[in-house]
Amino acid sequence: MRYLLLLSLTVCLLLAMATATLREPILNRFAGIVAATVVLICGVAILLSVLANGPLTVAGGALRADALSAFMLTVVGSVGLNSTWGGLAETKSVSGESWVYPTLVVLFLATMSLAVLADNLGVMWVAIEATTVTTAFLVGYQNTRRSLEAAWKYVVIGSVGVAIAFLGIVLIYAATLAAGSPTLSWAILHVSHLALDPAVIKVAVALTILGFATKAGLAPMHSWLPDAHSQAPAPVSGLMSGVLLSVAFYAILRIQAIAGSVLGVGFLRWLLVGAGILSLLISASLIWAQKDLKRMLAYSSIEHMGIVAIAAGIGGRLAIAAAMLHVLVHGLAKSSGFILAGRITNADGTTEMGALRSLHVRRPGLANPFLAAMVALVGLPPFALFFTEVAIVLAGFQAGLGWVMILLALLLLLNFAGLIRHTASMVFGRAEIEPEIVQPIDHSWHGPRIPIFLALTVAIALPFISRLGHVLSQIADVLKVIR
Amino acid sequence: MNTSAVLLALLQIIVMILITPFLIGLMRQVRNRLEGRVGAGVGQPWRDLRKLFAKEPLRAPGTSWIQAGGPVLLMVSSLSVCALVPLISTLQSRLIPGDLFVVVSVLLLGTVALALVGLDAGTAFGGMGSSRHMTIAALVEPTVLVAVFALSVPIGSSALGDIVRARIVDPSSIISLVSLLALVALGIATIAETSRMPVDNPATHLELTMIHEAMVLESSGRDLAWLELGSWLRLGALLGLIGSLLLPWGMATEPKLLAVLLGLVMLAAKLFVLASLLSVTEVFLAKLRLFRVPELLAGSFVLALLAVIASYLLEAR
Amino acid sequence: MADSLFSQLVGLSAGALLLSAVFLVWRRTQSGSIRLLSLQGVALATLVALIGVHRANFETFAVALLVLLLKGVLLPVLLTRSALRQGEERNTPFMNPTAALFLVALLAVLAYVVSRPLAILGSGPTTQVIPVGMTLVLIGFLLLATGRHAIAQLVGFLVLDNGIATVAFLTAGGVPLVVELGVLIDVLLVVLILRVLTGRIRDVYGATDLDDLTELRG
Repeated sequence: MRYLLLLSLTVCLLLAMATATLREPILNRFAGIVAATVVLICGVAILLSVLANGPLTVAGGALRADALSAFMLTVVGSVGLNSTWGGLAETKSVSGESWVYPTLVVLFLATMSLAVLADNLGVMWVAIEATTVTTAFLVGYQNTRRSLEAAWKYVVIGSVGVAIAFLGIVLIYAATLAAGSPTLSWAILHVSHLALDPAVIKVAVALTILGFATKAGLAPMHSWLPDAHSQAPAPVSGLMSGVLLSVAFYAILRIQAIAGSVLGVGFLRWLLVGAGILSLLISASLIWAQKDLKRMLAYSSIEHMGIVAIAAGIGGRLAIAAAMLHVLVHGLAKSSGFILAGRITNADGTTEMGALRSLHVRRPGLANPFLAAMVALVGLPPFALFFTEVAIVLAGFQAGLGWVMILLALLLLLNFAGLIRHTASMVFGRAEIEPEIVQPIDHSWHGPRIPIFLALTVAIALPFISRLGHVLSQIADVLKVIR
Repeated sequence: MNTSAVLLALLQIIVMILITPFLIGLMRQVRNRLEGRVGAGVGQPWRDLRKLFAKEPLRAPGTSWIQAGGPVLLMVSSLSVCALVPLISTLQSRLIPGDLFVVVSVLLLGTVALALVGLDAGTAFGGMGSSRHMTIAALVEPTVLVAVFALSVPIGSSALGDIVRARIVDPSSIISLVSLLALVALGIATIAETSRMPVDNPATHLELTMIHEAMVLESSGRDLAWLELGSWLRLGALLGLIGSLLLPWGMATEPKLLAVLLGLVMLAAKLFVLASLLSVTEVFLAKLRLFRVPELLAGSFVLALLAVIASYLLEAR
Repeated sequence: MADSLFSQLVGLSAGALLLSAVFLVWRRTQSGSIRLLSLQGVALATLVALIGVHRANFETFAVALLVLLLKGVLLPVLLTRSALRQGEERNTPFMNPTAALFLVALLAVLAYVVSRPLAILGSGPTTQVIPVGMTLVLIGFLLLATGRHAIAQLVGFLVLDNGIATVAFLTAGGVPLVVELGVLIDVLLVVLILRVLTGRIRDVYGATDLDDLTELRG
């Protein structure tokens, strides 16, 4: 069972090598889907095994899967599958026969898998930095002025942010060295009672969180995010918005757990809650004024990362469990949203929301699923994000953060109103100038329906699985503060 | 102790007066040779001085007593600096405080005298040169102050003699971080203060760029001789200070004849080495545009400041 | 190696790191910057080698060689070639150099304040010069934030990275070898990617003046 940890990485690497060397059109087309499927299967299998028998380690402890990493691997796999499968048509139109695009996508999946499976904080850092490396060209893939600008900002801000995180990790390592047992293993750092110096850990944790928060798109380090996520091809946007942000956030959670066991839970709470509230504030204000469809979705990702950050700040089993479910469902809904947005903009030839009107009449095949994805993203029932948001607010009240939760609810409403306003005017709104040539009504989905359908179904069905609460609380317990 | 310190200070003055013209001659000669010219020989500055001293100073109508007094004041300040800075020995009397702040203020006195001479005749070039010189001085003096201060922090005394003595006792402190930063800052400041390349080109009379030459344009004869000698002495004393800080070996720490003689020889050697080095680097440098000069000096000031920060936080433990 | 000599040499190489960073703020021609960056790489490698010799740790010594090759030679060469392709451009930063230099002094003070808690990580010369690494990090930030051209921003990024590496070697004698290799490769890849992007930006925009990158707003 433990070799499953290696399997997902090995398959991804082999696939990447195969696409790069064989340059077979069929392989290019389906490599991403195969890789994502393998990651998903490994993720689910490892999750089941871990839930039954406890954490798995392989390669001398270099790779380790506890419930949290197994769950994150599942998120990577499922969002990856949704993006690559759903984005088949887009991929073909963007990359043509090129081997570069599929190779980078597969490597991107591999680096994210490594990031969640590595037990060593340094290796985790290297993997997260490698996600920047693999996605840089994907962001700038279209080679237009805008995409190059986005890619430049993405690489520079992303690498610098992550470099700051490395400074923090170095200091953690130095602190363990000073305590007599040099290690970067999260499992050891979290469980054992090394006499780490609180002052050093404080500096280290602050730097690390700052760095990974940049990569996770939390305000005020979010400026690269709307650019990069709006300029990348839709499947890549879906991957980056849906799961890369969460992987970076996963790193924050791990660091938070270490900080908790050395400094107590209070130290990071206000930092995370503050960043979360600020993210929601920024996304709300910019969503309202937004004109570009994909940028709107990108700002919505900032909103959701803000919510997750607040949940992490609250801490405790309920909040963390809700945050985990939130990450998964947001990933599925957001990748569906990006894929559908990509199809819509390809069909109509513009990303300006002002020009995309009466979709419901013109292109019902695209408008209906897009509407569903947006309803999922704004957190309306029956989609799971409604329940997770309620759970997070409840947990906040229990933790004594009542005022913050009221603020959170208000900001959620603002975001909700902004997103719904734009979506409604796109789907139902009348164009100001009626098109002169009346096009035939377009019922086509412009691409595979099954992944979108599956993703949105899962987004509804998940909360109704009876064992889910048990699973999520086991995941949340991984991060339990041990003092 | 006191008498011997006074005697040594006098010795330093005499030696510096004798040496510095040769030093300037050497620098010009090195430059000439490197540029493929024969050169006028090391003794040329001395011959120039002799010629100038023999000449009657011509003063423009409308000039005041400053035209005559300024050069003397510059000379006095330069001679005082030569006496105050530890060059041959580290011995200091209470009568002549070789304190860092005293040295810098005496240096500044000379700078002001020179600038006043430039302004006095009321010509365009003189004023321009003075204004430039004051701009530079305003940046250089704090740099010198801060740089040497950084060196004084670990010793706990601002007397230059004590600083140098501490470096003789513990030579390893010479290549410490503080010392490195401070010496680079001091080097840049010296170059700017004495109007050498890349701040000013001492060899041209290009009116748009010159600084030092612009100020002495209206002086002649004896006045010019004092101004030139005074400026050379400043260069000599500052180079000597860097020499003492960088290579303190061989300096007399007690008033014995042999030690003093050794110190004398070492001083001459250090000065000639540093002067040749300066001259060689000048050959490879282009003059900076004037508005880039404050950047250079701000850089040196920052280095000096970094040295102070480092000295406080590193040596305190 | 004798302790006092070690401490002097560590101080000296840290001084060289700091000096090169300060001069980088002042001198903003591209070729000058790249030469200074190379010098900084050599100084860093020297520092690492010193630590390796002092601790009699062969691994650290090997890392020093890698650092020398990568940061002293390879990256500067890559940057130079990139700079040559676009022709020598004068680099006019957003901030006038005098102000930037004084900001450096402030940043140094900040770095010393930040490094204060790290003093307990050990004693001896390597702990004492940790603030130099932090200053380098902050100066890298400054260069990155005020650089107008692609190459200038790259140089800023590399100075930042050098700073982090300096802190790593000073506090812990370096991170485990696997991580170290990963970090070096990542840095190399980031620089390569930024180089390719620079080329493409020049093809599309006709210059690498990043002022022009203002299409994405809001």
